[in-house]
Amino acid sequence: MMELWHTHLLREKIDQDSLLVQGNRACALGALDAGVRFFAGYPITPSSEIMETMARELPLAGGVFLQMEDEIASICACIGASLTGGVGMTATSGPGFSLMQEAIGYAIMAEAPVVIVDVMRMGPSTGRPTTPSQGDVMQARWGTHGDHPAIVLAASNVADMYRLTIAAVRFAQRFRTPVTLLSDEVVGHMRESFSPELAGRYRLSSGDFDFNESYVHPELVREVHPPHELGTLRHPHITGLIHDETGFPTNDPKKSEKFLRELHDKVIHHRDELCLYDMKNEGRGRVCIVAYGSCARSARAALHLAEAQGMPVEVLHLYTLFPMPVELIQEVARRVEFMLIPELNLGQYAREVRKMAENWTTVVSMGKIDGTLITPQELIDRVAELVGKYESV
Amino acid sequence: MTPVAIEKYLHTERLPHIWCPGCGIGTVTGAFLRAALDLGLERDKTVVVGGIGCSSRAVGYLDFGTVHAIHGRALAFATGIKMARPDFTVIVLTGDGDGAAIGGNHLIHACRRNIDVTTILFNNQIYGMTGGQMSPLMDEGDRGSTAPFGHTEPAFDLCRLTEAAGASYVARGTTYGIRELERLIRDGIRHPGFAFIEAVTHCPTEYGKRNAPKGAIAMLEDQKARAISIKKAAGLTPEERKDRIVTGVFHRDNTAAEFCAGYYAMLDRVRVHVDG
Repeated sequence: MMELWHTHLLREKIDQDSLLVQGNRACALGALDAGVRFFAGYPITPSSEIMETMARELPLAGGVFLQMEDEIASICACIGASLTGGVGMTATSGPGFSLMQEAIGYAIMAEAPVVIVDVMRMGPSTGRPTTPSQGDVMQARWGTHGDHPAIVLAASNVADMYRLTIAAVRFAQRFRTPVTLLSDEVVGHMRESFSPELAGRYRLSSGDFDFNESYVHPELVREVHPPHELGTLRHPHITGLIHDETGFPTNDPKKSEKFLRELHDKVIHHRDELCLYDMKNEGRGRVCIVAYGSCARSARAALHLAEAQGMPVEVLHLYTLFPMPVELIQEVARRVEFMLIPELNLGQYAREVRKMAENWTTVVSMGKIDGTLITPQELIDRVAELVGKYESV
Repeated sequence: MTPVAIEKYLHTERLPHIWCPGCGIGTVTGAFLRAALDLGLERDKTVVVGGIGCSSRAVGYLDFGTVHAIHGRALAFATGIKMARPDFTVIVLTGDGDGAAIGGNHLIHACRRNIDVTTILFNNQIYGMTGGQMSPLMDEGDRGSTAPFGHTEPAFDLCRLTEAAGASYVARGTTYGIRELERLIRDGIRHPGFAFIEAVTHCPTEYGKRNAPKGAIAMLEDQKARAISIKKAAGLTPEERKDRIVTGVFHRDNTAAEFCAGYYAMLDRVRVHVDG
């Protein structure tokens, strides 16, 4: 296993187990530890600290940092670099993420491993740049045109920014497809006590992702087409046109469908590996709060309040939004009366959960779009409304 | 330089190509391949990136590492490739729409960085693949499917544009003057910095059907009549020069700082050796 880059970075600066680290900086450290050696970006609030950290640290690590002329150029440079081997990474926020969408589709088609971090801010358009939001969830799923798979992760704290960046890099390499890590202004800008070594010890109840495992050049999943890397003796052709196994375009209906289905299959067949989550108070709730990102922080705090008040609540904290953990959601739906989904948008993810859960339970969307966070007390109040008053309340 | 010799750089099984009879793109592509043969470019160390459009489709027939990118972004892809693999020879094939309209921003920034990428811009003054819409290189007054009453905008002079933006090698040739063009391309690839070669070519199908002269041969003869070397053009009045296609090397600076080399020199200075 390669020596973790952070060890070197932090060696001179601290003498203790942990230090206060900003979410965006933890993301950059995660990328360095995951072996990312190419970053191209364009400044945008509230993500700029990721590229600023990369601008400083990547050259020290012998990597390439580019500030490009816009977000389109940034992601295209990342794709170009990833076609030579390795993983290209960029970071942005909603407006820049919109500009990147066409190229993200190219990366899916060309099976180029790239990581895009979207530190979400209020939109649409310029919106409120320094205000948290989760308004880009469906853009992360469906932003580029055409039928395509998507791998989308969501970070809720500084440790997540570190370890989910590592997961994103690993997934991009194993599945050879772009991976989006969603964050938001609060998670990106917050400072928390954090140690990269400790982050590696976090366990997820899904139990499938070992952050301590060697993640440099992980094995490809079996459905991935043989990588077309530039600089190999095969001197391949790489295109965004529908193509066959030779890499060259085809208009053949059978080959076209086969190719597109294989792109989907490689993600769908590996949901068990991709769907990272944490289930709290499993099987003991009448209400399950399904949350991700900064709302999951409130949900976890609400769980403590609920326990103190004897309220029957469980929490499903999703680290992977797409592909969706269908079986898990349905399993929860079968046992609870309500699934409460707090989001800093008008119910983008709740709509997706409802599609697969409404046969068994009532899916309640709790969307907030005033730019403030959903507090634990607001969640508890909503739970109380749903299940009625309890004696201890 | 027999036709057979350049076949080593072609996916002959992909032929015939998609270009219309009389189109100049194949001729320019041939000039590029002869220049590549002359330079002995290695197929696994050379990457050719195209955008979207008739000319960018050339990459689908070339047996180098080839990337058929998205519309307008070939230079952004090429920048990532060159920075990740400085040992590669990186060449961009683009058109006037791809390179100067949708990709104009990337073009000027690639020039400004003076990154060691060679760009051959096939200028046929029109969007051929989509059916003859006007391009920013179309002559004022000429007609396209979106300029049925004549183009009311002036055209770019891409050689002046790229020189001003910082390209360290700037040249223009024509399909008619194919030997000159071949030499310009060869020198551009050899040049250590951003090389821009405008290849003036013709689209008999979409341009020729709406404008005079019509037909491939007449269009080539028109190129011959209008082409003039930089040296000879210097003696003309601006009025006399107006309709001429000035060819040759407009700018060459072998000493200009190249971006990729400069970046890696910086890395050598600052890089921390973890084991050290």
